Amino acid sequence: MNTITLQADSGRTIEFTNEIKASGAMKDVYFSPDRTYAVGVFRDKASAELKERMREIVTRYRANLFDQDGGKFWQQHFCWPTDIVCHNGRLGVVAPFFDKDFFFEHGSKNNDMLNIRGKDKEGKWFASASNREKFLDPREKGNWLTHLKICLSIARAVRRLHMAGLAHSDLSYKNVLVDPTKGRACLIDIDGLVVPGKYPPDVAGTPDFIAPEVIATQHLDKTDPNRALPSRLTDRHALAVLIYMYLFYRHPLRGAKVFDPDPVRDEELGMGTHALFVEHPSDAGNRVRRTDLRPQALPWGDPAERPYTMAGPLLKDLFDKAFITGLHTPDDRPSAADWENALVRTLDMIQPCSARCDIGWYVFDNSRSPVCPHCGTPYRGKLPVLNLYSSRTSGQYRPDNHRLMVWDGQSLFPWHADRSLYPNEHLEDRHKHRVGYFQFHDGDWHLVNEGLQGMKDITGCRDIPVGGSVTLADSKQILLSGGQAGRLVQVQMAGS
Amino acid sequence: MRRLLVYVLLDTSGSMQGEPIEAVNAGMETLVGALRQDPYALETVHLTVITFDADARTVVPLARLEDVVLPRITTPRSGPTHLGLALEMLGRQATQDIVKGTDSVKGDWAPFLFVMTDGKPSDIERYNAQCAEIKKLGFAQIIGCAAGPKAREEDLRQICDSVVRLDTMDTAAFGKLFQWVSAVIAHGSKSQGIAGAAELPAPPPEINVVF
Repeated sequence: MNTITLQADSGRTIEFTNEIKASGAMKDVYFSPDRTYAVGVFRDKASAELKERMREIVTRYRANLFDQDGGKFWQQHFCWPTDIVCHNGRLGVVAPFFDKDFFFEHGSKNNDMLNIRGKDKEGKWFASASNREKFLDPREKGNWLTHLKICLSIARAVRRLHMAGLAHSDLSYKNVLVDPTKGRACLIDIDGLVVPGKYPPDVAGTPDFIAPEVIATQHLDKTDPNRALPSRLTDRHALAVLIYMYLFYRHPLRGAKVFDPDPVRDEELGMGTHALFVEHPSDAGNRVRRTDLRPQALPWGDPAERPYTMAGPLLKDLFDKAFITGLHTPDDRPSAADWENALVRTLDMIQPCSARCDIGWYVFDNSRSPVCPHCGTPYRGKLPVLNLYSSRTSGQYRPDNHRLMVWDGQSLFPWHADRSLYPNEHLEDRHKHRVGYFQFHDGDWHLVNEGLQGMKDITGCRDIPVGGSVTLADSKQILLSGGQAGRLVQVQMAGS
Repeated sequence: MRRLLVYVLLDTSGSMQGEPIEAVNAGMETLVGALRQDPYALETVHLTVITFDADARTVVPLARLEDVVLPRITTPRSGPTHLGLALEMLGRQATQDIVKGTDSVKGDWAPFLFVMTDGKPSDIERYNAQCAEIKKLGFAQIIGCAAGPKAREEDLRQICDSVVRLDTMDTAAFGKLFQWVSAVIAHGSKSQGIAGAAELPAPPPEINVVF
């Protein structure tokens, strides 16, 4: 197999082995001999517009993202193209090779019966209840905590693109690699980026993720002002579908309702003008029929058994906006930032299953005696819940709608104690380490202060110095840190 | 989950003896193996394989992708190519298999058909009559493969939406063909262009598309 050597626009030397390793909708993909990058060559001759867009993506947009504060943070969220080349008159896009976490280590069950070990972890494997149950090696499946983290990663990456004024335009499980073992995700195929008013989209999206208005108007010419094309608002739909699918392993709009006996028309209506959330609280028209499911798709395939409310109040609220109020009203869809924010807080509301079941984690349901919804095991032991409050005016604390569950191994981070800090790309290294932890001792939970100045037990009227600790008891108030942005917690005790 | 039925018709007439039939066996393994690596196909694809020589045989009865057991396909020493007979059998089975949508039940996707032959139909009258019948069944795609120098594209074009030509009949060529067929089947889950029209994925250079 011969090696092709080219010079990129940037002047860098690009090499690849002349063998097509994968084919996408528009490109053939080749690998560099050392497998550190891949080159995707467009099969059709690229228009001047496409070339210009790609040039911008590998130069200006790339620099805006990675050459700034927090640039390093984003490297693990995107597989961003680095160079463009010309090969036999065709445009080629060079992008880094995917991290090894995004390739199956164990693959499928029964000593990898499907022979997928070493293949990339396309999201569809994990977003389908029957594929998970029937085929995946349990070591590949991760748990609910890692799946929430995957969703957070995706929401963050999309939020960053949208902040820059860009739309991805083709978010799908094919273009988002996931690693459920570590809870990571990475956006790939960045070359479809849409800049409103500058670079129009050239893909409509991938089935399952195309927004209803795009499907409903796809018969119109692309210059027709009524034609809806991919944009940040359609990205929001795709993002909501991705999050729903990674948490519930089913599609939010695929129920039993027949919109038309003809399958193509049925699909067009069911994903387009007539799209209806399978868990719509007042319109039961598109519920999933349990008898339609393969036994292996249970329990996740059946929303009656695993309702979306399991994701907790913050995410439920966003799913309502995405699939009920905003499904046909794009402006009402939650933004990627909304999802990021809700996911960060939901991750604090998660607690481990006392029986350590396969799914392993669940979101606190505000009840006094929580039960793992996956395996039915009641939570054993005391379960302190820390309600976070913060103050805008001196002495007056208001609820942040943010709770931190206390379990063995839970940590307190600076962004819990200080409302001016937020766990995102701007977080400085010095704020990334835990500043407190929780310890169960002699029948009580204790918060141990490892690095917070000004921590105070308000109820007990005493300072908690670094190295000191405080016992968690119902309705106890603890000021986590001094200073204007310091948060106060009110303890609630759940569990038994 | 809506099913996608895929029918594969394979020529096992005498002329396929030797390397060609071995290559087809290997190619079918490639096809099934490649589809089983596709999580979308695993949820939807159901496969039927029919072979034809003097007789037509269903060697893989309709089965979910994961349940497909490929038999070793063999050829007689010599004999005619009764493609018409195979189409007749296909028509009967497909009519029975395909779940049509109703007001309360979701129907299957329009099915796919692949026909591979290295010659021309010996039962030309029946073939002509069956072509018309098959067209009525509403296949989404009928793709023909004319393998080797003696295959007649004109005959295939009567029934197929597109015909690909395989110049050689060795393992490498059939391997690429079946790999491409798997890409065609999996195509429905890929990104869609703004133009909307579903296009076939580009075949590898060893295969010539002769629409």
